[in-house]
Amino acid sequence: MENVIELKDVNKVFKGFQLKDLNISVKKGFITGFIGGNGVGKSTTIKLILNLLQPDSGSISIFGLDYKKHEKEIKQRIGFVFDENIFYENITLNEMKKLVKPAYKKWDDELFNHYVEKFELPLNKKIKHLSKGMMMKASLTIALSHHAELIIMDEPTSGLDPIYRRELLDILHDLMQNGERTIFFSTHITTDLDRIADYIAFIHNGEHIFTKEYYKIEEEYAIVKGGTNLLDRDTEREFIAIRKSNHGFEALTANKKRIEDIFGEAIIMEKPTLEDIMLYTKKGREENVESRS
Amino acid sequence: MLNLVRKDILLQKNTLLIMLPLLIIYLLSGSSVTWVSIVFCVVVIMNAFAFDEKSSINLLLNSLPYTRKEIVSSKYISACVFTLLVLFTIFIGNLVIHKEILQREQILITISIVGIFISLAFPFSYFFKSQYLLIGFGVSFVIYMVIVNTFIVDLNDRIRDLIQIMLSFSNTQMYLLIIFSVMLLYIISWLFSIRIYSKKVF
Repeated sequence: MENVIELKDVNKVFKGFQLKDLNISVKKGFITGFIGGNGVGKSTTIKLILNLLQPDSGSISIFGLDYKKHEKEIKQRIGFVFDENIFYENITLNEMKKLVKPAYKKWDDELFNHYVEKFELPLNKKIKHLSKGMMMKASLTIALSHHAELIIMDEPTSGLDPIYRRELLDILHDLMQNGERTIFFSTHITTDLDRIADYIAFIHNGEHIFTKEYYKIEEEYAIVKGGTNLLDRDTEREFIAIRKSNHGFEALTANKKRIEDIFGEAIIMEKPTLEDIMLYTKKGREENVESRS
Repeated sequence: MLNLVRKDILLQKNTLLIMLPLLIIYLLSGSSVTWVSIVFCVVVIMNAFAFDEKSSINLLLNSLPYTRKEIVSSKYISACVFTLLVLFTIFIGNLVIHKEILQREQILITISIVGIFISLAFPFSYFFKSQYLLIGFGVSFVIYMVIVNTFIVDLNDRIRDLIQIMLSFSNTQMYLLIIFSVMLLYIISWLFSIRIYSKKVF
């Protein structure tokens, strides 16, 4: 399968924060959800993908092309949405369109008007007077009106009310119908992804933990519950992280089959949510650091 | 890239319309035409610059299919366009109001001073921010005074001499020299700004 985005051994160091040997690939024709807590490097990674930042080392290729030689070509084929307003505030959406339109060879006024009608966007209202939800739809309209093959969004659902969020997710779902399009978007609201994501890329503290098909996560990972008497040095090692209480333990495993083999009927297994996976991974990593230091 | 220049002009549309009556009032009041043109050029150019300075706008421009080189270059080109626009308006205004044609010297002085100002202000603003320009000028004035008072006491005289020498050239020679130096400064500043901007993090 073709990769639309490919990050290879990407390193980027800031004061007090770094991305370490990031290897992420995003498959063509699918929706990839990009998850991780606040401040773990999601936005930085997205900025690297959009060439707003350059990596210290490693390579980034989009559509198999390199930014050094094909910057404009790549950007022609990308649509982008940020969580903040990146438009001029004192002009109307219609004026904004006139500023963006000449930048794209494939700009399609009909498509633009189609989305404006569909989203009921006010063309002649100043952008600073649009609500957060309207603003998101306006950004999306601009991002979609030039037949972008790759749509990159940084936290598009943050700050939206549940109705707008649902609507947005439905729109994204509709966009995928022709199979040529790829969507890559970051979020920390993991329930968004239950509905639409095909792949999940997970990063934590600047490190890539995994990129997996959504259904595989459910096949491999499990929340395990059982009595604390089952735990000893060896069995504890089978888990990513464990939470103990008076009633027993709850833990996350990345290898459901093996746990079944070890504990058999003595435990209960549950389907983990993405939140569980994020939470336990964070806990597991922190404990690792502690035990090493 | 010309799209970006067009964008600058479109965004300045309202400002320009507001400034037109002001310009006429200035001309009617009989203030120095050169002075008026310099002020108007600088205000319009720096206003256009400040529009694009917000980090969110930098995100937008850099995510659109433009390179950083183009974004900086467009600003230098728009500065020229705005200068010509203001000069043209003043030329017409002067012709209508005072029934006189703008002198070559006035145009030359305006273009040179605006050119020098932009050559210094743009790289400075790309490096810091245009809102610090005033502080920057304050600091450089203090440094200048310190130099004059302690190190090169006759700096003012030397500058005066230099201007004397320049004035002693025949007109055409002098004009060419000035235009050439300003152009050189402008191009160096342009290249320098591209370097600064290409390393910027938003």
